[in-house]
Amino acid sequence: MKKIILSIFAMSLLIVSCSSDDDGTTSEPLGAYEDGIIVSGEGSFSLPSSVSFISEDLMTSENQIYFNANNETTGGYLQSIGFNDDKAYIVVQDGTIKVVNRYTFEKLTTISTGLSLPRYIAFEDNTAYVSDWGDPNDTTDDYIAVIDLTSNTVISTIPVSEGPEQILEESDKLYVSHKGGYNVNNVISVIDTSDNSLETITVNDVPDEMFIDESGDLLVLSSGANQYWLTPAVITDAAITRINLSDNSIISNLEFPSGEHPSLMTYEDGIAYYILNNEVYSLVDNATSLPTTSLFNITASNAYGLSVNDNQLFVTDAGGFAANSTLLVYDISSGIETNTFSVGVGASKIYFN
Amino acid sequence: MIRVILSFLLLFFYSVTKAQIANDSIQRLDEVVLSDVKLKRYASGFKLKVLNDSLLKKNNSSFTDILRFNSNLYFKENGYGMVSSPSFRGTNASQTAVIWNGININSQLTGQTDFNTINTTNFKSIVIRSGGGSVQYGSGAVGGSIHLNNTLSFTSHFDNTATLSYGSYDTKNVSYLSSFGNEKLSLNIGLNYIDSENDYKYLNTDERNDNGAFTNGSINANLGYILSEKNVLKLYHQSFIGEREFSGTASTRSLAKYEDQNFRTMLEWSHLGKKANSKLKVAHLQEHFKYFGNQNTDNYTFGKVNTYLINYTADIDLIKHLKFKPIVSYNYYQGSGSSFDDPNRKEFSTTALLLYTPSPKWYYGFNLRQDVNSSFDSPLLFSFDVAYNVSDAYKLKLNGSKNYRVPTFNDLYWQQGGNLDLVPETSYQVDLGQELTYKNAKFNLNAFYIKTTSLIQWQPNGSDWSPDNVDKTQNYGIEASLDITKRVNAHQFSLQSNYAYTVSEDLETNKQLIYVPYHKANINLAYAYKRISVFVQHLYTGEVYITPDNLSGPFDSVDAYQLTNFGCNYQLLKTKSQQIDVSLKVNNLFNTAYENVAFRPMPDRNFNFQIQYKF
Repeated sequence: MKKIILSIFAMSLLIVSCSSDDDGTTSEPLGAYEDGIIVSGEGSFSLPSSVSFISEDLMTSENQIYFNANNETTGGYLQSIGFNDDKAYIVVQDGTIKVVNRYTFEKLTTISTGLSLPRYIAFEDNTAYVSDWGDPNDTTDDYIAVIDLTSNTVISTIPVSEGPEQILEESDKLYVSHKGGYNVNNVISVIDTSDNSLETITVNDVPDEMFIDESGDLLVLSSGANQYWLTPAVITDAAITRINLSDNSIISNLEFPSGEHPSLMTYEDGIAYYILNNEVYSLVDNATSLPTTSLFNITASNAYGLSVNDNQLFVTDAGGFAANSTLLVYDISSGIETNTFSVGVGASKIYFN
Repeated sequence: MIRVILSFLLLFFYSVTKAQIANDSIQRLDEVVLSDVKLKRYASGFKLKVLNDSLLKKNNSSFTDILRFNSNLYFKENGYGMVSSPSFRGTNASQTAVIWNGININSQLTGQTDFNTINTTNFKSIVIRSGGGSVQYGSGAVGGSIHLNNTLSFTSHFDNTATLSYGSYDTKNVSYLSSFGNEKLSLNIGLNYIDSENDYKYLNTDERNDNGAFTNGSINANLGYILSEKNVLKLYHQSFIGEREFSGTASTRSLAKYEDQNFRTMLEWSHLGKKANSKLKVAHLQEHFKYFGNQNTDNYTFGKVNTYLINYTADIDLIKHLKFKPIVSYNYYQGSGSSFDDPNRKEFSTTALLLYTPSPKWYYGFNLRQDVNSSFDSPLLFSFDVAYNVSDAYKLKLNGSKNYRVPTFNDLYWQQGGNLDLVPETSYQVDLGQELTYKNAKFNLNAFYIKTTSLIQWQPNGSDWSPDNVDKTQNYGIEASLDITKRVNAHQFSLQSNYAYTVSEDLETNKQLIYVPYHKANINLAYAYKRISVFVQHLYTGEVYITPDNLSGPFDSVDAYQLTNFGCNYQLLKTKSQQIDVSLKVNNLFNTAYENVAFRPMPDRNFNFQIQYKF
């Protein structure tokens, strides 16, 4: 049992940068959660996952909004949420995706057939793509589930290598970071959605966080392997890799000194922000080396999620997973902590609705 | 240093022994019949509650249910039939020891016993011993201990009991017990098999407990042979093989499956001497689990521990009114599993128990134990107990002790995260009991205080989780119980009731620990008239917090609940040598929606029909 818990926790979970894609043209309020911040909490072994909401003006907050709207929990280990049109797709590791109205969080349907251990979701037109580990103990059954969004069913699968994690769609191609699941992997899968053909790009070990930068290049944070308990230990370097998407060539590969394993990165307006040992660093798009000094430091006991919006940095502190987490809000220019909110247990993802 | 002193102490007692001739016939009988004499003789100042085999056979309940309706123990059960963890006086499951015929059988992997892997068929009695008992019973006997006892009777008899039952959720249970004895040989065997779909409805929802089926079989066989007037040989064996699906929560599906295998064998040689009785035990215990995250695949994780134990003890009458019982024991634990290599642990322990009974009114016990362990330092443990019979009707009991809980294989060796620098949790406690007997009524009142330090807790440590000796807690509270039996002509009434008020708090935050109810109460009412008997049992469990914030609400606490069961029994046939009983039991009579563990619903109203044939 504990193996499962530990394995799950051992995977540091990063944040999908979710560009604010509401259209902003409606005048009637669409629901209580129309504008503001959505924070998903994974839950823990003994406590269920949940979704929290914080108003855009940072004046009010509400926990367990899915439970409040539906009188049921989101279950154990909520992995991530994807937003598409007026819907949100709550990806839960027990093999379900709960489809809700993104503004009211009322449940519309549940997708469960064809999913095993889903992680992240990306969208293209009327299709969703979900990274799935399959059986996490099986290194050869990992796949991308292809979901038809009209029928909300898995219509096909694309086999990929071990431990597909984050997934993003850009110009009819899917980019999948292979963190490696229970193991270590070091590739980015590139899937052409027109014919599902697959290419791979090799990066440093444990690639996770991905963003498209201002020049249209792919930015990848790889944490490096840190399996110190193995004999011999498997420890490799972390890196931030920039990839030219026209030919999948590597533009730059900025490696961290050995022993440093950053796992949280976010991106906005030409600047990537990452956290290392409670220090926040920034990296501009054309940087040729990693920064040597940090912007500011944070006070989290267990920084577990990171996101940026309008020059504000949002960090979740998951603490010991025994009680609610804390969302910390920092003003990036001053480094001052401006707000804190109590959010769900194991809060790991921050989205701007 | 302490070890040296203790060894000297042992030697000293041996050499000065002017042992009395141990010819007390009761004492001799105990030696022959019981495997765990110290539970009876060296526990005068402790609260003991005995559940005898008639209760165990009667109501066809799981061990968890028997205890939660008949004692002060509180259980966390992850859905019916799933992992069930006991709690004594606000301590946790790894601070509750389970003792099989005198041997601690808590898992070396988790430190606790899953009460849904114990089948009570064929135990002669179950004794609930409240309060610290690490000196006598080792690691984990902090809040209290549960004793599973077999007895071997050397009177001439041949008894058989066959039981068949069928109940809701397609639950089938078959058991057969046979006991044979004469003046030389005693043999008993119990076989039990249970199988259940366990797919109960989650009340107030459209869902069912879809992944909760369980099946298990157990064998419990014991053999005693009187070699000579002075030598008795006994063999105890217990096997349990179980397979369970692990149910999900109210809104999370599960495909998990868990397999348990436990084998326990003990050979015991008792020698009844003129100056002392001695006993040598050799035992082998094996625990083995397999966990399938997805039962449709062949991928699993496992853990396995073999325990080899040798234990020597003597019962010596030092001088008049002073009894001495030294125990030396060597344990070798050998583990293997998917999450660690092949760790092993060696443990040598010396224990000295002293009992002084200057008059029939007073009992004084003083006990010491020191372990030497290959993995960490163990503290010197002690306990004392005093019992004073103020009058025939009123008895006072006092005990105090220092107890421990050692780090488990998981705590030490888990990859990744296991911490080799852990030390045992230690705890001090005192317990004052009063026992009032009046005619057919007995009233018990206990007040206790427990302080525990160096509690082992798993915490996030970077991207990993790792255990550390961090927390300090204190527990205090009171326990009351009332037993009344009354017979009017052919009508027999009985009432048994338990209540506990428990505060268990983190000493840093002064907040109540999670999953400790402030209040828990139960009451059992039974009525028998000629061939008919009926009973009602009722349980109240107070609200428990599920986070350290001590807030109420669906994500912060589990609501209080009340639960009622009803049963009736009719003797179809009763002759000198044969008896047939039929019984019906209704669990959750009022169809109450309740949970023991947050978001893990328990069964709706369900029925069980049983037929039992004794010959």
